[in-house]
Amino acid sequence: MSVTLERKVVLITGSGSGMGRSHAVLMAERGARVVVHDIDPDRVAETADLVRAAGSPPHEICCDMRDIDALANAIEETERDYGPVDILVNNAGIGGQGLTLGDIDIATFDAMFQVHVRGTFFATRAVVPRMKARRAGKIVNISSNFAMGGSHFASHYAAAKSAISGLTKSWAREFAPFNIAVNAVAPGLLETNLTLGSIGRERIKAMAAEVPLGRIADPVEISYAVAWLASAETDFMTGQVISPNGGVSIVGI
Amino acid sequence: MANSSLEGRIALVTGAGGGMGRSHALLLAERGADVIVLDIIDGIEETAATIRERGRRAHPLRVDIRDVPALQSGIQEATDAFGPIDILVNNAGVGGRRLLIDEIGVEDFDRMFEVHVRGTFFATQAVVPGMTERNYGRIVNISSIYAMGGSPRASHYSAAKAAISGFTKCWARELAPHRITVNAVAPGFVVTGMTSGSNSAEQIAEREKGMPLGRFTRPEDISYAVAWLASDETEMITGQVVSPNAGETIVGI
Repeated sequence: MSVTLERKVVLITGSGSGMGRSHAVLMAERGARVVVHDIDPDRVAETADLVRAAGSPPHEICCDMRDIDALANAIEETERDYGPVDILVNNAGIGGQGLTLGDIDIATFDAMFQVHVRGTFFATRAVVPRMKARRAGKIVNISSNFAMGGSHFASHYAAAKSAISGLTKSWAREFAPFNIAVNAVAPGLLETNLTLGSIGRERIKAMAAEVPLGRIADPVEISYAVAWLASAETDFMTGQVISPNGGVSIVGI
Repeated sequence: MANSSLEGRIALVTGAGGGMGRSHALLLAERGADVIVLDIIDGIEETAATIRERGRRAHPLRVDIRDVPALQSGIQEATDAFGPIDILVNNAGVGGRRLLIDEIGVEDFDRMFEVHVRGTFFATQAVVPGMTERNYGRIVNISSIYAMGGSPRASHYSAAKAAISGFTKCWARELAPHRITVNAVAPGFVVTGMTSGSNSAEQIAEREKGMPLGRFTRPEDISYAVAWLASDETEMITGQVVSPNAGETIVGI
């Protein structure tokens, strides 16, 4: 028994790998029709194959989140050919590379905010008009437990994720009259290609030892939260955050 | 792959003789759990009968949660009959009747803290050894949005719910080494027998108009959150609060 997403069209940005791919596969298994997006065409095709294998015919989009026009056009074309987006998962992101303040130059800073903040903003802006018209919609943003408690490195990453939290809370209020729910999932540390590249296996192992539940989450454990927030079970939940972090961050009750 | 099934689990729901507690007990049973139905009121028999109709075992347990020795022996008796408890839902509560500070007498104050705070504490204390022994457990406490944001009335209610939040965060840390997760669900205003006793129909209609999603939460909106936090999908979620409040309170991301 699981929450169903039968026939819902879900757009997951950055679903060519890592967590985004995990969300795509789980939501396909639960009956959703998945729009796979990534900057890398090979990764889009790989995830699309997995979605197809899970029993759902995918729709594929390939564009750079930083190219707002390309993104808006791709979403426009998706909604025309595949159907209006019922669920948007703003997942596309890049790693913080463990950088400290002095290491973060203008290009690194701008890329971080372009992908996370502008990307989330303009993907949402592209799908909301049709959600409003249908008076139904679910938006799930991916924040981070670094947005809640800060981090001793990668302040540009923590701040970009905090901005996504700000968007979540404001949009929850702005879109509530249209029956569109907006929530966030704030993962703790995961082992994905992104974190392996930015933090490294040794440091991940050391950080896992500090998690009260004694391990780091599997990407699918983040996907369970995303899928639940995308389901009809949470029609009355908006502006909230769910953090599957193993007890690392305990705040805000 | 984990899912939201509760097949084979034993759950104890306090205050399950009516209102939200009954709704939680029925949903847990629908998902496969056998349920110990604890309350001071006659409604336990009706809740238990409905659970049995749905094909699960039910153990009605009539206890005044303020009577700690009776609570302890009742839980022991239920455990002897059903087996060790996997899921504890600390739901038993009393309404705040919108009282101002000078209207809250010693008896009102003590009853509020006895039911919510002592009740939650000693029910948990009675159940935890069995969970620790098996390295498995799900504890779901019922807090309130008033614990997060305060309320202009019923400060004794808000404070008792805030104390439950305190337990939630501490027990999440204390019990993590035993793979027991502890989370809270913080409802907004839910129309139940308890709340309609403390608010007039006009007051309820007036407040409902101000809700971002246009209506109050139903008991089942809360039960979905309780059941999900009791499932195997949430193994890495602990010390967190999930608030299905329709946008009434948006905090803490």
